[in-house]
Amino acid sequence: MPDRPIALSCGEPSGIGPEIAARARAKLGASLPFFWIGDPSHLPQGTAHKVISSPAEAMAVPAAMLPVLRHDFPAAAQPGRPTPENAASVIAAIERGVSLVMRGEASALCTAPINKKALKDGAGFAFPGHTEFLAHLAGVDRVVMMLACDALKVVPVTIHIPISEVPRALTADLLTDTIRITHEGLRRDYGLTAPRLAVAGLNPHAGEGGAMGDDEARLIAPVIARLRDEGLAITGPLPADTMFHPAARARYDAAICMYHDQALIPIKTLDFAGGVNVTLGLPFIRTSPDHGTAFDIAGQGKADPSSLIAALRMAREMAAARASA
Amino acid sequence: MRLALAIGDGGGVGPELAAKLLSHPEMRDRDVIVLGDARLLRMGAEQAGVRLDLPVVAAGDLPRDLPAGQAIVDLANCAPASFAPGQSSAETGAACLQNFAAVLRLAQAGIADAAMFTPFNKHSMRLARPAYVDEIGFIDATLGATRSGREFNVLDEVWNARVTSHIPLREVANRLSTERILSSIRLTVEVMEGAGKPAPRIGVAALNPHAGDGRNFGEEDEDIIAPAVEAAAAEGYRVSGPIPSDTVFVRATRGEFDAVLTMYHDQGQIAMKLMGFDRGVTLIAGYGFPIVTPAHGTAFDIAGQGKADLGATLAAARLGLALAKLNPPRKRQGALARDWATAPVGDAPLVEA
Repeated sequence: MPDRPIALSCGEPSGIGPEIAARARAKLGASLPFFWIGDPSHLPQGTAHKVISSPAEAMAVPAAMLPVLRHDFPAAAQPGRPTPENAASVIAAIERGVSLVMRGEASALCTAPINKKALKDGAGFAFPGHTEFLAHLAGVDRVVMMLACDALKVVPVTIHIPISEVPRALTADLLTDTIRITHEGLRRDYGLTAPRLAVAGLNPHAGEGGAMGDDEARLIAPVIARLRDEGLAITGPLPADTMFHPAARARYDAAICMYHDQALIPIKTLDFAGGVNVTLGLPFIRTSPDHGTAFDIAGQGKADPSSLIAALRMAREMAAARASA
Repeated sequence: MRLALAIGDGGGVGPELAAKLLSHPEMRDRDVIVLGDARLLRMGAEQAGVRLDLPVVAAGDLPRDLPAGQAIVDLANCAPASFAPGQSSAETGAACLQNFAAVLRLAQAGIADAAMFTPFNKHSMRLARPAYVDEIGFIDATLGATRSGREFNVLDEVWNARVTSHIPLREVANRLSTERILSSIRLTVEVMEGAGKPAPRIGVAALNPHAGDGRNFGEEDEDIIAPAVEAAAAEGYRVSGPIPSDTVFVRATRGEFDAVLTMYHDQGQIAMKLMGFDRGVTLIAGYGFPIVTPAHGTAFDIAGQGKADLGATLAAARLGLALAKLNPPRKRQGALARDWATAPVGDAPLVEA
């Protein structure tokens, strides 16, 4: 078991980030050591916390207190309202987490949700999201977003684009890289010596032999054949509608999906709240809860920390697998 | 209420499921007329480990009033020795086409009140009849229908209809129009009301991720789908949307919607099959009688092993009989043509030699 804590960046302080961090610590105690990078004044009033000066100190903080690596912000949190004044600090807190995990002081990075508009308005943040920003900080060209719950892991090859643009965005290069990064991530961070991947088709019935589209024969099947020749355990292209029921899921470790909803429909149907967002292909481990800032309920004490807890747990399991590899 | 049951593809679990259904306590005393090869049904009964002893009725002189209970019209069209289990074949495909046309004609003639089939294999059917596209097209041709029916997937209390179906994903966005979605909403409600679900609540799925995220990921949700939902609401339908498709089914199963209208095939099929692979039913409605089949396929990988789960097949039979009861009373339409079991479908012979 790694003896280094997980770094949790605070995300948008006016969202539910601070309160779910406090609640996760209250639930987990010292059993899953993590520290929060943020401004203590943003925590819900009365949150028991202890300011630490280095990640290592987090291990000795009493279970009832949240270890806080203090990062001062210029403005107060206004629950429910984005605060562009804090944008530069939100970004700096992420950068600080990355540097701690890159230096090995933290075992993994977990990120609380950000508000892209606030970051753009307040600091000219030009990245579509956390994932791309982290890749940039780590100096990596291509990373993979994987969503994971106990019952299923899915990787969308294309993500936040219109359905009409999916066929054009799917290239042999992108698909090959995505599969390779996923394979390597499952091997290194999930302890799977020979990960089994199932690749979905793009079209109904995986094109049904060309009757409903040729993307499978033209693009997907040749990529699979090439990677299989290299020794990867891959099946597909499979009809997307018959690859997610329990018997089908037992045959693979992760499903490679061609578009956002092909991946998100099955995982949200299986586990509406507990999904974890994992970035594979970074030099460090990164997870995050699969929800946003939830401005509509921020500051009301209603936010559910279970997705964050799932993200912290997965980060720890991944760190343990990587350490023992 | 009489169910006309077509035996499905002999290479898959079709015969086994037909035998299991007929021997199920809930179906034993029902009026069921089976269409297919009696040897295939026997094979299915052996695979299933059940005893069946159905009286055989000749196709040529179907009695005006069929006897109560179960019977089989032996079409003698698919000897078990003529095909290999676990794969597609022209032999099994030809038999499926004939069985399918026969149950449709019996239902059209008022001899049966619902038509049903155990899983067919499209590839087998295309080997026998290259022009075969899908069920709807074949039903239209068999019945001479001027208006096509609609396919629904039904899982417990949730129905799923779709605006586009068996087309490449790249064509989906171009096929969507406000008018098309609006007419899908109207038809869905019409069929569901006919099935005893008054004023159903319809959740309309979005096309793009996060319903387009305020036009960041595509314009169709705002420009095409939202206006259809507004127009439907103005007509009095209980309709909401566009709803991101990764959450719309969860909301439906929690009781928020009676039906989900999806924009493309896998958008609905992924969730429906995940939630109830063993219970999902495909219903084809709009022809005056219900046509039902389990939503799963021929399961070539477990063919002949007796392992096939009856759940979805039983759910299909129940739904077919329940819907038939809601239809207006049907009168037998006079005698069937003598060649009713072999007559051409559309312009083409039933199967190509």
